[in-house]
Amino acid sequence: MLLQSSASSYLPILIQGIMALAFVGITMVITHLVGPKRRTIDKLTPFESGISSVGNARSPFSIKYFLVAILFVLFDVEVIFMYPWAVNFRELGGKGMIEMFVFMGMLLLGFFYVIRKGALDWEK
Amino acid sequence: MTSLIIVSVLAVAVLYLGLFKYKTALLPVSVTGLLAAAAMAAMDWDLEKMYFSEMMLFDNYAVAFSILLILTTLLIFGLSRNYFEKISNNVAEYYALMLFALAGGVVMVSFHNLAMLFIGIEILSISLYVLAGIRRKDPASNEASLKYFLMGAFATGFLLFGTALIYGATGSFNLAAIASSGAFESALFRAGVLLMMVGLSFKVSVAPFHTWTPDVYEGSPGLIAMFMATVVKTAGFAAFLRLFLMAFAEASAFWAITVAILCILTLFAGNITAVFQDRFKRLLAWSSVSHAGYLLLAILAVGFSASSAVLVYTIAYSLASVAAFGIMILVSRARGNDHLDSFNGLARTNPFLAFTLTLAVCSLAGIPLTAGFFGKFYVFKVALAQGYTWLVVLAVINAMIGIYYYFKVIIAMYMKENANAVAIQLNPGFRLVLSIVVFLIFLFGIFPGLIANIL
Amino acid sequence: MTLWLIPALPYLGALILILAGSKLSKQMAGIIGCGSMGLSALWTGVTGIAFLSGGREPVRLQLWEWFDVAGWNPGVTLYFDSLSLVFTFVITFVGFLIHVYSTGYMARDEGFNRFFAYLNLFVGSMLMLVLADNLLLLYLGWEGVGLCSYLLIGFWYQDPANGAAARKAFIVTRIGDTAFAIGLFMLFQTLGTLNIGAILAEAGSALSGDGAASWPGGPAGATAIALLLVGGAVGKSAQIPLQTWLPDAMAGPTPVSALIHAATMVTAGVYLIARMHGIFELSPVSMQVVSLIGTITLLVAGCSALCQSDLKRVLAYSTISQIGYMFLALGLGAWSAAIFHFFTHAFFKALLFLGAGAIIESLHHEQNIFRMGGLRKELPVVFITFLIGSASLAALPLVTAGFFSKDQILWMAFAGEHGSLGLWIAASVGAFLTALYTFRMVFVTFWGETKTPVTHRPGKAMTIPLIILALFSLLAGFIEVPHNLGHITLFSSFLASVLPSPELITDSLLMEWMSQAAAALLTLGGIGLAYEYYVRNPQSLAGMKRNTGALQRFFHSGFGFDRLYDSLLIQPYTWLARVNRRDITDSLYTGLARFSIWLHRQSAQTQTGILRHYLLGAAIGALIILTISIFI
Repeated sequence: MLLQSSASSYLPILIQGIMALAFVGITMVITHLVGPKRRTIDKLTPFESGISSVGNARSPFSIKYFLVAILFVLFDVEVIFMYPWAVNFRELGGKGMIEMFVFMGMLLLGFFYVIRKGALDWEK
Repeated sequence: MTSLIIVSVLAVAVLYLGLFKYKTALLPVSVTGLLAAAAMAAMDWDLEKMYFSEMMLFDNYAVAFSILLILTTLLIFGLSRNYFEKISNNVAEYYALMLFALAGGVVMVSFHNLAMLFIGIEILSISLYVLAGIRRKDPASNEASLKYFLMGAFATGFLLFGTALIYGATGSFNLAAIASSGAFESALFRAGVLLMMVGLSFKVSVAPFHTWTPDVYEGSPGLIAMFMATVVKTAGFAAFLRLFLMAFAEASAFWAITVAILCILTLFAGNITAVFQDRFKRLLAWSSVSHAGYLLLAILAVGFSASSAVLVYTIAYSLASVAAFGIMILVSRARGNDHLDSFNGLARTNPFLAFTLTLAVCSLAGIPLTAGFFGKFYVFKVALAQGYTWLVVLAVINAMIGIYYYFKVIIAMYMKENANAVAIQLNPGFRLVLSIVVFLIFLFGIFPGLIANIL
Repeated sequence: MTLWLIPALPYLGALILILAGSKLSKQMAGIIGCGSMGLSALWTGVTGIAFLSGGREPVRLQLWEWFDVAGWNPGVTLYFDSLSLVFTFVITFVGFLIHVYSTGYMARDEGFNRFFAYLNLFVGSMLMLVLADNLLLLYLGWEGVGLCSYLLIGFWYQDPANGAAARKAFIVTRIGDTAFAIGLFMLFQTLGTLNIGAILAEAGSALSGDGAASWPGGPAGATAIALLLVGGAVGKSAQIPLQTWLPDAMAGPTPVSALIHAATMVTAGVYLIARMHGIFELSPVSMQVVSLIGTITLLVAGCSALCQSDLKRVLAYSTISQIGYMFLALGLGAWSAAIFHFFTHAFFKALLFLGAGAIIESLHHEQNIFRMGGLRKELPVVFITFLIGSASLAALPLVTAGFFSKDQILWMAFAGEHGSLGLWIAASVGAFLTALYTFRMVFVTFWGETKTPVTHRPGKAMTIPLIILALFSLLAGFIEVPHNLGHITLFSSFLASVLPSPELITDSLLMEWMSQAAAALLTLGGIGLAYEYYVRNPQSLAGMKRNTGALQRFFHSGFGFDRLYDSLLIQPYTWLARVNRRDITDSLYTGLARFSIWLHRQSAQTQTGILRHYLLGAAIGALIILTISIFI
């Protein structure tokens, strides 16, 4: 790792990013230009895992779905913190252990609150 | 630090009290907890302790502002008995959210690392997004919440971008390291400073990033608007000043002119637009914008007297705002709306309320013998000491414009009659809080030395 | 040190009466009002005794620092030395007696509680004034006194005339206050401090150096400051040319007049000049101005008093004239003589006003002396005390306090280093006039036949203060006796630590005897003349009245100052105001207001409530900020 980090030391990253974007763009353009085009009815229907599409996609559905989804994301993402802790378990030692337990305790408190509030009861 | 832990744990405890239906215990527990937190904060005086690998620094600045935030919240809680019960079933959540927001505020005044600044701002803001939308059935409240959220998210983007650029330029999030990095000339650093300034300006409603303020204040419940005007603004400015004092002070020659321009814009936008507002809450919202302008003056004057000036100003402003919003809540509840006409004849039906509100708006306007006078006085003084005479002249003109619209409510209360007005009933909490505020406004107006020499 | 209790007690009383006034009974309000004053007087006594028995060292008590800005830290600091002690003693002691008297006088008034609240505030402000360590605090007390006088003169505000009198007092004294304020600005500009001790030290070192030339502002600066201070003093102490408010101030209740004249208000100017004597010593011109003002005032007011028919107005003009004596003494550099005259004057003038109040009250608010008469037997206590007060005012030789204090001034006018024969003659004529108008008042009121029946007699609350004040009016003079009569200098040596004593150019014993004899003769002559015209031979007066009608009207109107000011200042002013109804200078401000309204309309457009406009505005703002930085 560079000790002296400055804007210029990010230049390679920028170049790589541009390369990546260019690669995507160029492939798409080239395939579009090069590939043969046969427009049949089957090919122009939206692909939905083999099931024929029904009605408008913008129909409303239960708000509870969002709640469950958001709660899922919340608790799912928290796991990310456990990976680095697990990797550095030895170095962090007892203190790290306690801190992680506090963190988990807070999460559990939240989780318990969610259950108790009935956020996960679909039929309510 | 102990106080921060107490506030956080208190919030969780309040949440669980609500979960197990101990509604009567909510307020006593919160008040006791906050008192304990304030006491613990005071214990940290002069200790200058660093926490979490130098991510937080509890110096006297942090302690003073923490105590101010905690005590202001305490005053607001004093007014909240029977308030949330009327507008919602989830009372405990609101106490808890306000406490979480307070915890965010405490982090914002004690950060020593840009990451902590961001975390503090987000803890504060996200709690507020929810609080603004407390009245779920009320479209205005929903609108306020959504607007606040979207604008806040926009601002956070600027803030984070700025933080990233500064990290890019200096290689550190640590304020001391940034200050000693010597990267002030680099374009990356400068862009970072300006973007952070934009992000923070949103949070403290500095023009031209203030546009959300009146809409959000108007749509939010009165008590939440009061919380935004006092605790959130204090925390925001304390964070603003702390960042620019501890990290960017050396580069002040470069960002000062921008702050000066923002200051003028804010003063004029706030005061001029407030002039003909006919709803008191919206008027207070615009006035809160204009007060951000006066506070920017102090930021211009980097140096320790600036923090003292900001402290005096925010104390005075918080006290006056608590009284003004509190009486606005009472009047709009009793008379149906917060239109200035609703205040007609208040002096006859409720002389105490009329007197308190008069004192509060006098303090906001900066009339001598009130705390607000010395707030403005010290801010002007530090700005003058830095040679911003022209800016102070403009600010004084704005203060005069301010007197015009502040006194409209006094005129309504004392000089206009309302034949069918009946006396408004006060509960003991209101009476106590308003009496304390009146006492303190006078106390600090006559003995400004009590607060002027803390920092 | 508990010095702060002295002003704090009246203030506390006022605070209680203001906050709880409507809920207290009259009795309770009286107890609070008098009690706080009594305690304050008691505490003054205790402090005074401690001061006298101690080393007489001045005491400085810093209560708190008001604020600290740019090296300027005006503190709420009290300063206590012998000069403050004299004033504090008179204010609290006489004030207390007036309070007690008021419980009787105002007993049937509806605004009883309000009255005591104002009274306490009045005394508290005056105490603040005389105990202030810096001129800023002094100015606070000064303005507090002005405010309270306004409130009290207009106490019976239902009558518009009283309101007008109150406004007049307020506005006229305000002219002086403005001069005073400008003087303070100049002082601060010159020295960077308003601390009295520091200013006097500076003045003292300039004086001991090469005089006014070594004063930081130069001789002209010193004179300007001194004259501006005189302006303030002239307004407050009702001297020419700002004396017009005092006779009208009789609109207030009589105890208020007593308080204003004896203890709390008009003497503030005397105090100010005495306190700032160092500045005046630097500027001989200003000293001459002061003595000239005093001399003219004492003559003009003396003549005016001769022709008044309203009992209280006679007394009002007599106060103006007596303060004129004090100014004369101040101008002569006879500082302690001025303060001594203030000291004795406080007792006999309070006595006279309270006595007048008792008479007016007994006669069902009749104030015209020519409708009184024969009260000698009807109101014996009032008569005797009033007679003592009048004798003291007229400076009846050897037995009254007024004689000793006035004699000192006369002698200084003659023999002092700034004195002259002209001043002495003027002052002696004034003494003659004083005796004449005083005893005219006494004879008309108490002798002759009864013209208005006495409806009721004053109670104990009113007579006891009269008796006490009468005793003081007789005895207070004996603490300072001229050296040819016994040489007692308790008072002047007491003040010597604060006020320098003037040098005498002649100390011939013969001259002193002559001067005293002349003054005594003039006094006796005045009394005799009054007796001749008003008791023995009233018919001869009628002829004179016809012959000198115009002169009498001129005197009666107080030398027409009111009419002069009316045509010189008020008429042009109202004319200007009428012409300039659509204010020319105002158009600038209305223009500014219009501009603000226009700007408001523009800025109100930003409140669309549409989120994307807000975000757009913010984004443009951010863009502009970033663009600006490119050019820095």
